[in-house]
Amino acid sequence: MTRFDLSQLTDAKWTFSTRRVDRAVVAAGDTAFDQARPGDLILAHVAELGQHKRVQLTSGRPSFIYPGDAVVLACGARYAPDQFEGIAEIDANGADLLAGGGCIGRMVARNSRVRAATRLIPAARLLDDAGQPVNLERFALQNTTRAQDIPVIAVLGTAMNSGKTLATAQLALGLRRAGYRVAALKGTGTGAFGDYNEYADTGAHLVADFTDAGMVTTFHEPLARVKQGMDRLLHHAAENRCDIAVMEIADGLFQRETAQIIADPAFQARISGLLFACGDAVAAAGGVAELARHGLRPDALTGIVSCSPMAVAEAEAATGVTVLRKEDLADPAEANTFALRALPDLRHSA
Amino acid sequence: MKHLSTTVLKDCTRISASIDRVVAPTPAGRLRAFVLHPTHDAGRAPLVVLHGISRNAKELARLFAPEAARTGRRIVVPHFTPNRWPHFQRPCRAARPDVALAGLMDFLATQDAAFARPAQIFGHSGGAQLAHRFAMLYPNRVARLSLVAAGWYCLPDDRMAYPYGLDDKNDRQLALWVRRHRAGLARFLSIPTEILVGDSDTDRDESLRQTSDLDVVQGTTRVARAATYAEALRTAASQAGVSADVTLTALPGVQHDVAQAIRVAGLARHVAGPDLFPFSQAV
Repeated sequence: MTRFDLSQLTDAKWTFSTRRVDRAVVAAGDTAFDQARPGDLILAHVAELGQHKRVQLTSGRPSFIYPGDAVVLACGARYAPDQFEGIAEIDANGADLLAGGGCIGRMVARNSRVRAATRLIPAARLLDDAGQPVNLERFALQNTTRAQDIPVIAVLGTAMNSGKTLATAQLALGLRRAGYRVAALKGTGTGAFGDYNEYADTGAHLVADFTDAGMVTTFHEPLARVKQGMDRLLHHAAENRCDIAVMEIADGLFQRETAQIIADPAFQARISGLLFACGDAVAAAGGVAELARHGLRPDALTGIVSCSPMAVAEAEAATGVTVLRKEDLADPAEANTFALRALPDLRHSA
Repeated sequence: MKHLSTTVLKDCTRISASIDRVVAPTPAGRLRAFVLHPTHDAGRAPLVVLHGISRNAKELARLFAPEAARTGRRIVVPHFTPNRWPHFQRPCRAARPDVALAGLMDFLATQDAAFARPAQIFGHSGGAQLAHRFAMLYPNRVARLSLVAAGWYCLPDDRMAYPYGLDDKNDRQLALWVRRHRAGLARFLSIPTEILVGDSDTDRDESLRQTSDLDVVQGTTRVARAATYAEALRTAASQAGVSADVTLTALPGVQHDVAQAIRVAGLARHVAGPDLFPFSQAV
């Protein structure tokens, strides 16, 4: 354990992924970066700006960063085909800002269309008064078996930026307008407030993501932990009296954790509906075929493909699955079709 | 067919109700409404009263006010004004009265959680059109249906193309609406539904939609069409394995006039249900 000036933490920019952390727990720091585990909190200083010129604060707003700025982030991996692939390793001589939401690690590959990662100099791994690393898991929602299961509509897609987040948000909006208490959840991915805020803007009654379940990212996490995280989010939604949840599963069907999830019989049995976002008709056909290989069939297609009437016609002809635009998902009459399929019978009393 | 008593109502004004006017900002546009708040709360489902093509919301609010007081029920009377809502009888591309009605209830629920409960929906003529279509789209929001003298109906089967029934004719736009109406069909068919019509409501006037298909399948008058619809609900419920609670009631001496049905046949009292204090005396 190394003594360091705790006042640095007061001035530091605490990133979105650390929003559940009780800062009073932090009592010390060390430089055993080679022992850092995913989720451990790291104090670092900005060394050189690259792809990310801003970080996302716990307050929900972005903040420009400047060389020398102190930032608190969580050690983690990153899966982002349009940016970086990174792993949860920290070199004392320098580390990478893998995600603006607050993920520090080592970049191992990058998309040729983006700049190199912003470089950070790790200053300390944060410890509690017992000398234990302060990890996001400590502040995660606790699992509970008290809450009843609520129906969940899963949102999957072909890749990043296929329209999953918009679909999740708009379906949550439509369900709220149809009269339900709705949870908008992100089951997998890397912590960032963009999706979280987009969900919250719909007026969803509860918004949460995997960072609430103690993970800065689900990339490289064991399937059992990822599933436990999703269960925690759903239990949390049920405890908050939500009637139904819409849950986005990040990235494409071939991404490692997503592929494991859709192949998992427990997940297949757990979901009450499925929405698939894709970019064009060929992607629609491929996605529907891949889902069929796992015994799944989407209730509807959506995403970028829905912007083009010609692509819609082709996708529907190729798959036999209805394509819904974002306006359709936000329409309470349309959204209610998902809920009515998912929810148990209601009693009538006047 | 059951016949109501023609006894004229006596107001029970000692237990009163206040009337508020609200303008709800809904996703489909602004919707005005009269909201009747009883001084005593029966804890029952709110009652929504939908006007017909005469758009006589103010008159309906006045006629239902004694019922709010007598039964302790919250009563909402939306007013689909002609300028803002030229189409209000059914959801379509031109207008979404269903979204407006749901939005109105959500708006009221922000001030009084009782409005979040599934409601009893009463509608006369065009209001009955909206009422049963709203219930098909949102059966989760409807506790009971009281449909009075609709000109025609959306049959819960595929004998006719949408909007007269649930056949989509392989048309994409129709298919979208048919899918939405079919999604909760079993739940819709389980909603207790009372269909009422004046036994003198037999004119084939210009306000009655008249097509050869409609005349053949649903009947030539509102009385005949009400009977067709009641039977269609029972048959569809049976086929869906749902226990139907559908009644068909004739209002003796009543024409196509909701105010007459209320004054002469006690329609509002019948729809609103039992007294809050059954042993108290009206004064």
